[in-house]
Amino acid sequence: MTDLFPLDSSHPVFEATGLKKEYDDGKVAALRGVDFRIQTGEFVAVTGPSGCGKSTLLAMLGSLDKPTSGTLTYRGLSIPDLADPPAYRAREIGFIFQAFHLLNTFNVLENVQIPMFEADWTRTQREDRAIELLKLVGLDHRLGHFPTTLSGGERQRVAIARSLANRPGVILADEPTGNLDSTNAEQIMNLLLKLHHELNMTLVLVTHDPNVASLASRIIRMKDGQVASDQTKPPA
Amino acid sequence: MTFFTIVSRSLIRRPVRTALTLVGISIGIAAVVALVGMAWGYEKSVGKQLDVLGVDAVVSNISGGLLPKMFDADLQAKVAALPDVKETTAVLMQMLSIEDAPLMMVSGREWGGFTWNQMKLIEGRMPVDGKEKAVILGKLATEILKKKVGDTLQLEAEELPIVGIVDGQAVVENGAIFLSLEVAQEVTGNEGKINFINVRYQPGISPERTAALAGEIKKLFPEGRTMKADQVVGTSQGFQVARAMSWSTSILAIAVGVLGVMNTMLMTVFERTHEIGILLAVGWKRRRIVWMVLCESALLGLLGGVTGVALGALGIKILQTTPTVRGMLDPDLSPQLLVTSVIIAVAVGIVSGLYPAWRSSRLTPSIALHG
Repeated sequence: MTDLFPLDSSHPVFEATGLKKEYDDGKVAALRGVDFRIQTGEFVAVTGPSGCGKSTLLAMLGSLDKPTSGTLTYRGLSIPDLADPPAYRAREIGFIFQAFHLLNTFNVLENVQIPMFEADWTRTQREDRAIELLKLVGLDHRLGHFPTTLSGGERQRVAIARSLANRPGVILADEPTGNLDSTNAEQIMNLLLKLHHELNMTLVLVTHDPNVASLASRIIRMKDGQVASDQTKPPA
Repeated sequence: MTFFTIVSRSLIRRPVRTALTLVGISIGIAAVVALVGMAWGYEKSVGKQLDVLGVDAVVSNISGGLLPKMFDADLQAKVAALPDVKETTAVLMQMLSIEDAPLMMVSGREWGGFTWNQMKLIEGRMPVDGKEKAVILGKLATEILKKKVGDTLQLEAEELPIVGIVDGQAVVENGAIFLSLEVAQEVTGNEGKINFINVRYQPGISPERTAALAGEIKKLFPEGRTMKADQVVGTSQGFQVARAMSWSTSILAIAVGVLGVMNTMLMTVFERTHEIGILLAVGWKRRRIVWMVLCESALLGLLGGVTGVALGALGIKILQTTPTVRGMLDPDLSPQLLVTSVIIAVAVGIVSGLYPAWRSSRLTPSIALHG
């Protein structure tokens, strides 16, 4: 198979220059010229009040939406001009959403396998990989359960396992603890931190929770569609 | 989990809707099986009848309704005199309403002719000569008319005794009433008239000579035609009308099925906008989503087709027991018809799924996720 996304360490994972996104024929501006670079292995929290454009930014990083103007690259490749956006989402990116977005008619084991249909794996390979991931998130005892029978924290752990299905290099998490109580939120963040460290994954996390943001090594604060501040914590 | 699991799971999640859609397709396919099965069955029955009688060719008028128009019986002698014609026999065949029964085939055959001698008596006796005013019944006709040997049969203005029962070896023969040509002409007021001449050629005659003979008969009988036994049904106007009606009704039933499946699949796609958004977000290609929707609709078609074929076969068996149909035809439930019907059903499913599949492939992931 041709490698559509060659690993090129000379480029940052993401680079945005003058990134804008407008809706309703320019009447609504979600992003008003955003610039940043994210390097391999960084844990970046994007924070800001509701409507500041942080989720819009995440959608563009994941090629779920296209910018109106400006440039946005993934390892030097223009994301809006990718030849195969689904392959990018399937192989390079793992998504985690606030609302979990699991498929309720499929059990836990099946939900984790859904993204693997875009990889050339056999049925056994898919099942083995899903079990391995569910062990990693501590849910291997819930394989046959359906999402509606799980707690919020458990559902988010299934979503995390699913996001890792095709061994992506980047996790994009949109308010992953937004629907969870404090105990579950802490467990999910600990899990994400563990994955970030153990798998050396680049983690871009959108949150309005300052406690969650404080766990990141770098915090990009957004306001009115622009980057208000970009702070990197000194290494501990 | 396989791709088929995903496809089948989405049909199972809405069991009532899926069941109702299946009922819609099944009825359509059952109509196809029943109507086309009867049309094909009729064709086969008549073909088998001619085969049983050992008829090589049939001379008849081109025009006519369900049966060809009558013509003068004198023609028979002229045809019989042609070289390479071994023997001929004249027939006056009519569809008549007999007593309480619906239309039945009344076949006036030349007494002693080869089609007459081919009948196998199973009860009673045959008329002693061509002048005896008596009838014999096919074994199925006795059931339809609820008659036995010794009873009488009201045929037009005459009351004729039933003297025998025959096994015709083909459903058309078994459901018919037989009498001598002479008596049939007299009773129905068609003296000197016939509507078929059955012809037997000399053994080993070449196809070229057969074609040449047809041309010679055409010269003798310009408004008529000579058909090989297997062509008789295909060129019958009555049969062509029946075949056209069965197919047009079937197409209508199939069109209703297409709309039913399309409606179901469109609703499914609308309801699953969010789910499709998730699939797009986790990297599913649009063509895989199109394939998923098409497979779902094809599976609906397949299940509906199999159910429809079973329903159609059952319906046809029930129809065969009704007085209107019994004895008239032997429906064809050949594997060819059953497989064709299932293929039609799957095609209906795929065609119905095209638009919903296209709609699903047009969804924008970020919008669909919030749908």
